[in-house]
Amino acid sequence: MPEVTARGVRFHVQTLGPDDGPTVVFVHGLVMDNLSSFYYTLAAPLAARGVRTILFDLRGHGLSARPTSGYTPADNAQDLLEILTVLGVRSPVYLLGNSYGGVVAMRTALLAPDRVAGVVVVEAACGGIVGDLWLEDMVNTLTVAALGLEFDRTQEQLFSLGQRKIARLAANASALLNGTSLIDDLGSGPWFDDLSLVDCPVLGVFGAESSLIGAAAELAEEVPDCRLHVVNGLGHTVLREATGELLDTVFDWLRV
Amino acid sequence: MSDVLVQLSRIISEVVGPDFLLGVEITPDTTFSDDLGLESIEFVALADKLREHYDVDLVGFLADMDIDEIMAMSVGTLATHIESSRA
Repeated sequence: MPEVTARGVRFHVQTLGPDDGPTVVFVHGLVMDNLSSFYYTLAAPLAARGVRTILFDLRGHGLSARPTSGYTPADNAQDLLEILTVLGVRSPVYLLGNSYGGVVAMRTALLAPDRVAGVVVVEAACGGIVGDLWLEDMVNTLTVAALGLEFDRTQEQLFSLGQRKIARLAANASALLNGTSLIDDLGSGPWFDDLSLVDCPVLGVFGAESSLIGAAAELAEEVPDCRLHVVNGLGHTVLREATGELLDTVFDWLRV
Repeated sequence: MSDVLVQLSRIISEVVGPDFLLGVEITPDTTFSDDLGLESIEFVALADKLREHYDVDLVGFLADMDIDEIMAMSVGTLATHIESSRA
């Protein structure tokens, strides 16, 4: 398994495509998500068009190590930047974040503007009222899930029923939610900066039926160089259910 | 069972862990998701191991399928692809 050690943590990293040229780094969502959601959707087609793609599992997720702390969006952004440093990526990269990954991508762009050429935000609220409510809702949902996993011993019941896949997902989610500071870290915000300070181009892609659609207008209003694309008939599942449309939109925006 | 299927079964057991496989016999019809309970991130790890072992790149092969199709694939389908890539 390709690994990179950054900030003392072992990260699972996959790269597809050429070794240099325009680079897209993918940032996945929280808890049940990992780099495979990009590996099977956007990465290969972009790589086939000559884009270097870098995918990594956030700390505590997928096949990366699960340290007990360091789960704020700022930590995730620092992890991303350090992984790029270890990989020897010096020129500015494009970041594509789905759901919570969009928060991390935007945080990275604000933290290190000289290292980020542009940001694609897919179904994420990165500021404003919608963003605050979304993060609050996430913390509440995860807290309830953590309690359920802890007291029902869900994963043990599933393993005994031979449900390996769901049992593993439940076991990993429980270890992350009950064994690390993730929920406390997310709740210790505010995590959003003034989006008018974002000085790179931003593409926002949202589902028309998503509860985050209000964030689209906020993004376009605040970010100086922002393009929006709204996918009709979908909610939060744009990446998985409108992969082709998302790819075309990203290709057009990147002009590759 | 073909040589590739035997090797593939061994590599799958490395990824899945031998404990779970005690009760599962891998045949060409065995599916990754339903029968082996493989998570999508574990299929990424499997693709890595196949690249190391066979020097076969699955990215092009998988690019034509969505994630549900990949996970619903049978071990035999993957073995056939590996055999044809090496021919």
